[in-house]
Amino acid sequence: MSDQSSMEGGVGVASATALLPGDSPLHAAPETRPPALPRRGRLGIAGRGRLVLLGFVAPALVIYLLMVIVPSLQSVQLSFTNWDGISEGYDYVGTKNYQDILTDDRFWNAVRNTLVLGLGSAVVINIIALVAALMLDRLNHLQGLFRTAVYLPALVSAFIMATIWKYLLNYNFGSVNSVLRDLGLPDWARDWLGDSSIVVWVILFITCFTLGGNTTLIYLANLQSVPQELLEAARIDGAGAWKVFWNVTWPMIAGAITVNMTLAMIAGWVIFDQVMVLTSGGPGFVSETMAFFIYKVGFGEYRAGFGSAAAVVLFIVVIISTVGANAYMRKREIQA
Amino acid sequence: MSAADATRAQVLPKTTLPKKTRTPREKKKWTPGEIVVMAVLSVLVIAVAAPVFYALLQSFRSYSEITIDPMGLPTAFTLDNYIALFQQTDYAEALLNTLIITVGTVVLLVAIVPMAAYGIERVGGWTGRFLYVLFIAGLMIPFQVRMIPLVKGFNDVGLYSTLTAVILVHLGGAASFGILLYCSFIKGIPIEVEEAAHVDGAGRLRTFWLIVFPMLMPVTSAFVIIQALGLWNDFFVPLVFLDSSSAGTINVAINRMIGLLTSQWQLIYTGAILAIIPSVAIFAGFQRYFIKGMSVGAVKG
Repeated sequence: MSDQSSMEGGVGVASATALLPGDSPLHAAPETRPPALPRRGRLGIAGRGRLVLLGFVAPALVIYLLMVIVPSLQSVQLSFTNWDGISEGYDYVGTKNYQDILTDDRFWNAVRNTLVLGLGSAVVINIIALVAALMLDRLNHLQGLFRTAVYLPALVSAFIMATIWKYLLNYNFGSVNSVLRDLGLPDWARDWLGDSSIVVWVILFITCFTLGGNTTLIYLANLQSVPQELLEAARIDGAGAWKVFWNVTWPMIAGAITVNMTLAMIAGWVIFDQVMVLTSGGPGFVSETMAFFIYKVGFGEYRAGFGSAAAVVLFIVVIISTVGANAYMRKREIQA
Repeated sequence: MSAADATRAQVLPKTTLPKKTRTPREKKKWTPGEIVVMAVLSVLVIAVAAPVFYALLQSFRSYSEITIDPMGLPTAFTLDNYIALFQQTDYAEALLNTLIITVGTVVLLVAIVPMAAYGIERVGGWTGRFLYVLFIAGLMIPFQVRMIPLVKGFNDVGLYSTLTAVILVHLGGAASFGILLYCSFIKGIPIEVEEAAHVDGAGRLRTFWLIVFPMLMPVTSAFVIIQALGLWNDFFVPLVFLDSSSAGTINVAINRMIGLLTSQWQLIYTGAILAIIPSVAIFAGFQRYFIKGMSVGAVKG
């Protein structure tokens, strides 16, 4: 935001001296490299200087390769085996794990739950956060105080929030049921986490309690960069509050919506803490998510090969949904 | 840069609009609308914070009080639960483990990530581009994909169930986001400053740590705070990589209490409250950087 001008300055310097790489691949910019500046003797391009720079990258690169890239590839390899997770050896079983997964009702149930929880929480959190940010943006007094207050609950982790709710939702003595009984609604009291027809929706409700703070801040930052002049011009032209929002503000914050929806979806695909704490996937396997399914199968049921195959499927789903959603929303931004 | 900025640049050529039409905020009057908005926001905040506040109150109740009335409010405030938590469970050790993991990971991240991002940006060309994409790809690899082989690997080298394993796993996971954040900032640093240092005889390493690194302070603060909060609150990685022979981290310890001490929820609540306090402290201390970092990270993302 504030460094915007300096960023552009930097890119300008880059094209003038041909020392920087082109713009990052994520934002393809036209490359205007002037031809054939003498490279030798300038910083960071020739011979030894280049090696030194690559040396700078080396420590992070080694750890990243060992901790992320190599194990991810190994996961693909293990997904074709019947490894149990503890034995020394294992056999290759071809695509058997993948065939088993695609015909496994328990897996599809986990997929469905992941969709409900991931997309559901993404939509609910984004709507509430956008409304909260719009209200914060309108405040002329005490904005800092309210911004902090709105953010504070987001400091409580998903794990802790789920722990607290587990107690509140206890069938016998939990506050939720007690309050319902006190209000004269004893029929409404129920085993919130043990009732397979509602448990996923209860987890969705609790999931929505986390993450809202970050999302609100991102929206607020973008709202405050919308030029006031434009809003005032629209009002002078006779547009009502809704029209101003829909025709001016909404297109202006399209970028923030893309970012927030993408972040929420990535977080949604790997929802784990809430399920682990609240239900351990139960009753039965009803409330399992893909992340929990992989954890349970891989470590709890000694089917590491099968778990790896599920992880590879999750990876493919995440890539397709992230890239696809991003492409779709970026396109929408340009039209807007 | 976000597309919103780009759109604004197109819609709003600078020359066509008066520059200062915005009324200074402090001169505005209180309006009924604003009071309504504040009331609605307060209700929202209270609704989300209520469970946490309830947990805080429960942590001050005595065991006998809880047995008689499990969900009531405290009649007398006692710190017994806080004392009992440290005496009866290995929460103290878990707290220390969490601190070591958080601080260790953050320090190592700051030692390697800004330097790597600088190397990637300055080496440039095909190599820089390839390294950048390689790191950024990690953002799309869920932890679940790599956890089973990592457990196997740490077992093979005898590092399973050590804090080192947890720190290494976190380092790999955070590298992608760090490279993304730092690279977009380093682009904006004019290279002439470095060339001047170079002419004065400073090597690459000196130039980086003495000239470039201090200029990266705003990003570093944001990066450190975001990572510190995430590491402190993490549950999954220590759950997978620390077995029951270790005290675990605070979240792992609380999770074990849920299984073992189901009749002593006041202890679990006490642990939960203690886990929240450092997060709030980190946030309170660095709020300004944090909000800036959040929004910058988002706009660049």
